[in-house]
Order: sequence, then C-alpha cells, then structure tokens
Amino acid sequence: MNALKTVGHPASRVDALQRVTGKATYTGDLHITGMLYARVLRSPYPHARIRRIDTSKALALPGVKAVLTHENCDVVWGSGDTKNKRFLFNNPVRFAGDAVAAVAAVDRHVAEDAIRLIDVDYETLPFVLDPEEALKPGAVEIQPSGNLSPNNKGEQKPETYAHGNIEKGLSEADQVFEDQYSSVHLNNAQLEIRVALAQWEGDKLTVFASTQGISNCRIEIAHDLKLPLENVRVVCKYMGGGFGNKNQCHDFDLMAAMLAKKAGAPVKLEFTRKEDYVAVHGRWPTKQYYKVGVKRDGTLTAIQFRGYSGMGPYRKSSGDIAGVELYQCPNVEKLVYPVLTNMAVSANFRGPAYPQGIFGIESLMDHIAYQLKMDPIDFRMKNMTRKYHDELPYTSFGLEDCVLRGAEAFEWKKRWHAPGEGDGPIKRGVGMAMGAFGAAVGRSSAVIHLNSQGQYELHVGVTDVGTAAKTTMALIAAEELGVPLAKVSVVSGDTDVCPYSVGESGSRTTTHTGYAVIQAVKDLKQQIADKGLPQGDEIRTGSATPDPAQPKDSARYAFAAHFAEVEVDTELGHARVVKYLAAHDSGRIINPLTCTSQVKGGSTMGIGMALHEELLYDPTHGVPLNAGYYGARVMTHLDTPDIGVLFVETEDQYGPFGAKSIGESSIIPSVAAVANAIFNATGKRIKDLPITREKLLGVLA
Amino acid sequence: MRAFSNANPKDLREAVAMLSQGRNASIVGGGSDLLGMVKEHLVAPDVLVNLRSIRGLDQIESQRGGIKVGGLITLDTLSRDQRIRKEYTVLAEAAEKVGTPQIRNAGTLAGNVCQRPWCWYFRNGFPCLKNGGNTCFSASGENQLHAIFGGGPSYIVHPSDTAPALIALDAQFHITGPSGERVVPASEFFQLPRVDAARENILGKDEILTAIQLPAARPGVRGTYHKVLDREAWTHAVVSAAIVLEMDQQICRSARIVLGGVAPIPWRLPKVEAMLVGQRITPELAAKAGEAAIEGAHPLAKNKYKVPLTKAVVKRTLLSLNA
Repeated sequence: MNALKTVGHPASRVDALQRVTGKATYTGDLHITGMLYARVLRSPYPHARIRRIDTSKALALPGVKAVLTHENCDVVWGSGDTKNKRFLFNNPVRFAGDAVAAVAAVDRHVAEDAIRLIDVDYETLPFVLDPEEALKPGAVEIQPSGNLSPNNKGEQKPETYAHGNIEKGLSEADQVFEDQYSSVHLNNAQLEIRVALAQWEGDKLTVFASTQGISNCRIEIAHDLKLPLENVRVVCKYMGGGFGNKNQCHDFDLMAAMLAKKAGAPVKLEFTRKEDYVAVHGRWPTKQYYKVGVKRDGTLTAIQFRGYSGMGPYRKSSGDIAGVELYQCPNVEKLVYPVLTNMAVSANFRGPAYPQGIFGIESLMDHIAYQLKMDPIDFRMKNMTRKYHDELPYTSFGLEDCVLRGAEAFEWKKRWHAPGEGDGPIKRGVGMAMGAFGAAVGRSSAVIHLNSQGQYELHVGVTDVGTAAKTTMALIAAEELGVPLAKVSVVSGDTDVCPYSVGESGSRTTTHTGYAVIQAVKDLKQQIADKGLPQGDEIRTGSATPDPAQPKDSARYAFAAHFAEVEVDTELGHARVVKYLAAHDSGRIINPLTCTSQVKGGSTMGIGMALHEELLYDPTHGVPLNAGYYGARVMTHLDTPDIGVLFVETEDQYGPFGAKSIGESSIIPSVAAVANAIFNATGKRIKDLPITREKLLGVLA
Repeated sequence: MRAFSNANPKDLREAVAMLSQGRNASIVGGGSDLLGMVKEHLVAPDVLVNLRSIRGLDQIESQRGGIKVGGLITLDTLSRDQRIRKEYTVLAEAAEKVGTPQIRNAGTLAGNVCQRPWCWYFRNGFPCLKNGGNTCFSASGENQLHAIFGGGPSYIVHPSDTAPALIALDAQFHITGPSGERVVPASEFFQLPRVDAARENILGKDEILTAIQLPAARPGVRGTYHKVLDREAWTHAVVSAAIVLEMDQQICRSARIVLGGVAPIPWRLPKVEAMLVGQRITPELAAKAGEAAIEGAHPLAKNKYKVPLTKAVVKRTLLSLNA
C-alpha cells in the first residue's frame, strides 16, 4: 500500500484542546435568555390505558408555562414503524417509561414538581416482556396489527435469508449440533444524556440537538412537525456520544419544539440518566436457536437459524440477528422475528444486529471445533466466508489476515490449551471470534473555500459523535490538497452553514462524507486551474455531492478477529479479561490514533456486554430495576484490560483512499471472544448473556 | 427534587434540637447517598441539618489507648491515615473499597455506616417495607443480590463496607441525642428486620452518630477486608469479609469474622471465630472455617451462588492473613 503524506499518520483531534479544557460547548451547556426547562412524566406501568389525565394542578403551579399530553398534542414521531403510529404521548402507554406528559417551567425544579402534580388514572393491562412469548397465540396484543413488528416498509414478516437446501445439508452431515443462546437488553450508556433546546423565531424553528446526524434530524423534524425543510435548522457543534441511539430525530427534539411553541419561549429538555436508560433505545435482546450440520473433517453442510428479537412496543430498527454469514456453507436458512414487547424500546446500538448474533454463532462454532478436536483457529480458517453469502466476492478481504496475524501477535499457539486445563482455583483461558460489518458507499456533500491568505475552510455536515469525524475530514482534505493539516479548518454541525452529510450511523461517515470531501477538493482545484488563485477579497469554492459508484457484483465489508485471555477464579466466580488483541481490516486507516481509540472503545463495550452489563427487568411488574451506570454495571476504567490493536490494511478501490469502516466492527467479535475464552479456561459454556458470577458459580461451584 | 432548606448548626446540641423540632429533617454529612435519595423522591426532607458546619467532627484523636474517629471524616482521609492503615488495617482497606474516588472524597464514615440499602426495589420506589409498605418485593422477585442470612420479612443486605470492619475491631459508637451521649458496641448498633423492618439500626430520628471509638491496637493483631464486586469498582459488596485475628507465635488467640453483602446487618460468625482460637490457620482449617461459615444459610431463588461464594471468601481471606 502506497504511503500518503497526511492520511495514515496519527493525528490528535482538531478540537481536542477545546474538549479537554471544557471550552467545547455541548448542547447541555447552552443557555438562551428566557429559556424554560422541561421534564417528562413517564408511565410507571409496562402497559396501561389512560382513563383520565388531569393537568389542572400542574398548570396552576406558579412558573409552569406549558403542559403537553396525548389530549393536546398529536404529533407522530415518524421514525421507524410506518404501520403503527408512535405519538409523542401514547395512549395506551406500552412500556414503563413511555411518555405521558411534558411540562415546561421557569426552572427544572418547578417543572419536576409540576409533573408530580399531574393526576393520571391508569387502567393497567396485561403485558409481555419475552419476544418468543409475545408471538404465541393468545399473547397480549401490543399494537393493533399484532406483535410481529412491521419493518420500515410496513411489512409484517420475519427477516429471512436462505440458499441451498437446508434439509439436504442436514442429512449430509456426519454430526448435527443443536443449541440455543440468548442475550439481554443493554443500554448504549453514552456519556451525554439526551438534551434538546428548541427556539422558534416566527415560523422558523431551531433545534440545538444532541444528534448523530444534523441533516437527517432536520429532515425528520420537518416531516414530523409538518414544516417546510427550509424552516428548520439543527445545530450540534459538539456531541457527547450516542452509539446509535441518537440517530435521526428523537421525541425529545420534538417535545422541546412543541413545548417551546406552546409556551412562546425557548425550551430545554434534558433527560435524567435514569430516563436515558429506560425511555429511549438500547440493544435488542435476543433468543437464538441453531442447528448446524458438519462433516467429520470440519466442513459445514448446513446452518439453520431461528431467532427472536425483542423490539419493545415501537419498532425503530431492523431487529436482525447477524452472524451466520461469517461462514461459508452451501445450505443456509435464517429466520429472525423482530417482535413487539412491553420492554424499553430497542434500536441501534453499535453494530446493532451483530455482537449478540456473533456471540451465538461464534460460541457454537467454537463448541463444534472443540467437539471435532480442532484448534478453533483451524476451524475458522477452514470455514470462514470467502464470498458474501457464498456468492459475491468482497471488494477487499482481510479476514484471513486478521485471524492469522492476530493469532500470531496474540501468541495463540502458546496460550491455547485443552478446556478447563490447569490446577488450582484460578484458571486462564483464551478465546477468539471473527466479525464483519458493511462498509457501504453512498452520498454526502462537502464544500470547501480558499481565501487569498491560503487558508482552506471545509464545510461538512458531520457532528462528530466521538469518532473524530471532524479530524478525519480535515485529514482527507489536507491529503487531497497536498497541504499541512493546520491549513484546513472545519465548519460542521449546523444545517444553516453545512451541506448534507449522511447520519453518523452504520460506520458510514468516513466513506460517504470523506469521498465527498475529495470530490469537493477536486472541484476546488479545477476552479483554481480555471480562474487562478484567489486574490484580495476573492474566495474560491469547490463543492460536491457525488453519487459514488457502487461496488459491482461484489460486497464491501470491514473485517475483524478478536482474541481474549481471561482469568477465571472458579471459587469466586470472578472472570476478568487480562489480555486482549483486536485485529482489524478496515482498508486504509485514515487516522491510526483515533482508529485505535475506536477499537479500544468497542472492545471495552463488548467485554462489559459479555461479563456484566444488563438492564434487568422485574418479570412480575414489568419495570427495569437497575437503570443507570451504577446498577447496569457499565465498564469502569479498572475493568478495561490493555487492548492491543493490529490493523491489517487491505487495498480497496472504493471509499476515500480505500478506507472502509471501523466504529461498529470494533465491538462485533468481542463478546464471543470473551465467552470463548471463559470456555477455554473452565470447560463450561455459558449460553446466556451476561456471563455473571451467578451463572459461573452455578456451573463451577 | 422537592425544595428544602439548609440549616448550619453551631454544635451538636443545636443539631439535635433541629432534628427534634418536628419538622421533617435529614442529617447531611457528605450527602453522597442523601442527595440521590432526595432526587429519587425516596425521602423528602424540609430541612437538611448540615453537620459540616460543626467543627471537629472529622478528626482522629488518640484516646484511652485507642483512637476516636469523628463520624464526619471522609472515607478517603480515613483510608489514607497512616495510623489507621498500620494499626486498623481492616478499616483502611474497607474504606478504600467503597464506591469511587468521588464518593470516597465526599462520603463520610458515619454516612457509610448509616447508608440506606441499595435493594433495587427500595431504590426504585416500590412500596416495600423500607418505603413504608408491607411487602418485601425481593422475597419472590429479583433477589440475586439479597440476603442469605438473617432475612425476613425484609431481605436487603447491609450495604456498608466499613461496618463489618468496625464490628471486627470491637468499635464503640458514640451517639448524641436529646438526652446527651450514649455509647453502644458496634455489634449492637445494627438491627435485623424482624425487629424493625423499616430501619437498619437503632439510631433514633433525633440522634446523630458522632464518633467511633476503636480500642488500643494490640501486638499480633492483623486484619484485612476482602470485597467481591460485580465489576472492578463502584458496586456494593456481593459478599465481603472483615477478619481480625490476634496471633501469638502463629497461634490464633482471638478472631473476629464479620461478613458484608449476605445479611440485613453486618453478619458476624461467632461459631467460626471460636473454631480458630488456639489453632494455627492452616489451609485445612481455613477450608473448615469456610464450610462452617455457610451453616444456616437460607438462600433465595436467585442467590444460591452466594453460599459457595461466602465459603470461598471466608477461606481465602483467612489464608491471606496467614501469608
């Protein structure tokens, strides 16, 4: 791979100083004179009809300026399910945490007092939390169209995939392995809680948001509030994280806007941490049933998979359970039911369909390797995907290198041993798992100006969700311009001054917007070639909204293999990751420093998902018990091992300088790698996440 | 959060008077637990009686051969005090295992001892015994973190790390109330739910835990605190053990073993203590002590794992003192 001048060299974030010195103004830091504060009243029940709601006492409280309920606000939050309407305030309420009312008042204490003065008469209804139960005949009906949740086209059908003949494949097998795995609801647990500040000037609305995509957020606010697009401005200059649960616009953006309209003053709505856990989106819990046919030599003959995803009562995202496509196999049948339940809503969370699905398939494949007395590495080298769905070649393929070079760097051969081997109560073991995530190419825009002082100003609609997108865009522009990074400043996060950028979801920003930056620079170079360098007050402007060529008859993926070593204290049931290595093929690495941070962050999240994180529900009352960082056992610094990162750079002809994707692939193999390491250490396989002390002692003590 | 006023008493007499006035008053020291409970509407005081306005409640003084530790000392200061570290190691180790650096910087010793339970039903406002209701939701609910000893009708576990250490050290608690000061042994401060399910200790509404007296350190005494957490920091003890042994030429002369995380009060194991007296702490004896420690355990549906865990923690902690 040819070396470049700027791209490929570690660069600190362009806004690092502002962020670490507290000078960066996040949405929660904003204040507008005369601004009101809002709070939301939420359902304490998982399913209930509101018979009567009386807001008179709240309205009479001095300082209260506006109250919204389902009786005076019929705004539909349009993102997601197109068949069943999700209002800002629903009746019936369908999960513990569903919004019942919102209040704007002169300060947050008055607002909170006011929501407690709202008198709601609930008729509680039966509820269901388990997705498989929810599909059974006679289950509680959560939406009028039934509990198999409609997709974004309004169709009610399972996510399916099949090739070959599954019965034939199973009959050809020397051995058939049948197993089931499960995963739980987890919260994204991003640092910045949900916040929006809405301000009307005439019929023009500005929403200072905490969003993963100002452009999409703007489009959806305009759609949901029935406003012309040009009347909506969305600003997010600094963003404190979302990991997928701040895609598009959200109910808090819309509630702030509607309260501001009603009160005639700007309104800031900020959630509490607990609300952030229960009222928005986490990872969908799953139940997974597998049947895998295999020949004695380890050749796969059939993979049959049936899965259930619990989407909560309003579907927003796919609900898919991914992973079987990691293996080449002539006969595959996959059937996934995304099901409505009365739990917190599930939607995107870093590699939405993957870490839990990979946990299932990679645990099972690991099990099969051991049963066949094969080294798990050899089994994967034999069976890993070489073509997408055994059909399309990949635009570039680094999975073999991720596994082989990762295993070498991790010293797999030295560390791997027979399961449960070793004397004494403290056992060590190693495990590995593979992962893949799409690296789509697509549309975004960029504008770049050059003044006569030789300074470049790049306008891109990124919000930088923590991925260092601002820095990435500046690096790409500097490389293409052939100028030092310091010559390029970035204007971002404001729809009034930035062109369209794809939402920062699907690990797409570098590929989409980065490609647009290159094209905008090319346009600028052409302008300069045509008209000369700018003189005096002149400014030359290049812009682009490219529609990049889609990979032809091929699939574009980023790949990864993770390796974990754990220490399990078999008497205390304590599992701890002591060594970790993540090998990634993300094409060309634009910024090794921030890419390494992405991988470390994703791996850390995965370790937490493997070992202790869960939003636990009381099954009798249908309410979450441990919302928040303390109760849900989010990873702390002390839980995080030293994580080694190895980039296997492949040449890819798409994307900016051949960059693929990184943010989401970083979490994908981690859960399974840790789970497999625990098996290697103890000889016991825990099939239900998280692998807690309770479960470990249940099989070890 | 309901509005409240703040009161700054000059001395303990004034503080007690403020608590006795009939208004709904709460004592605030570090406030790290109280503020969260006010925000969650679990308590709604009209007035916070701020003990930090009284001088001298956070000091360590030598007294009667031992030391007297002010209840308002922060957990961080306590854990770093050289004399505590050397002579009362079990307490320093317990204090440094509490929560997070932020909590240890704000939280006080008395506050940690008097901390309310962290049962998720209580903290989520269920109408449970601790919230003035008449049901313990953990009895048949999610009870993986709940009591295996001493439970009923409430099955909370006492959340304090320092309390087991203080009982293991034979500490005396100084309590100031309307009729002056009373002193009670640490082991008599805590009370089981079968005595009063709404509360965890004997402190009256108008009483303040002001100081903790530790007896003189004796030669040959060694102690340690072992805490099992569900992640490496910032959880309460799943199971913990505070053990203090008085050793003479490798023979145990007296022993104190007090567990955290297993019962509604710090749970002392007198039978196990007696087993150790006059003995060398061998691996075999430690294993027997572990077995004896779980006698009489009554696990609930989802906390059976705490039984083998307790066994292992007692065995390991004893052996670590022998090293």
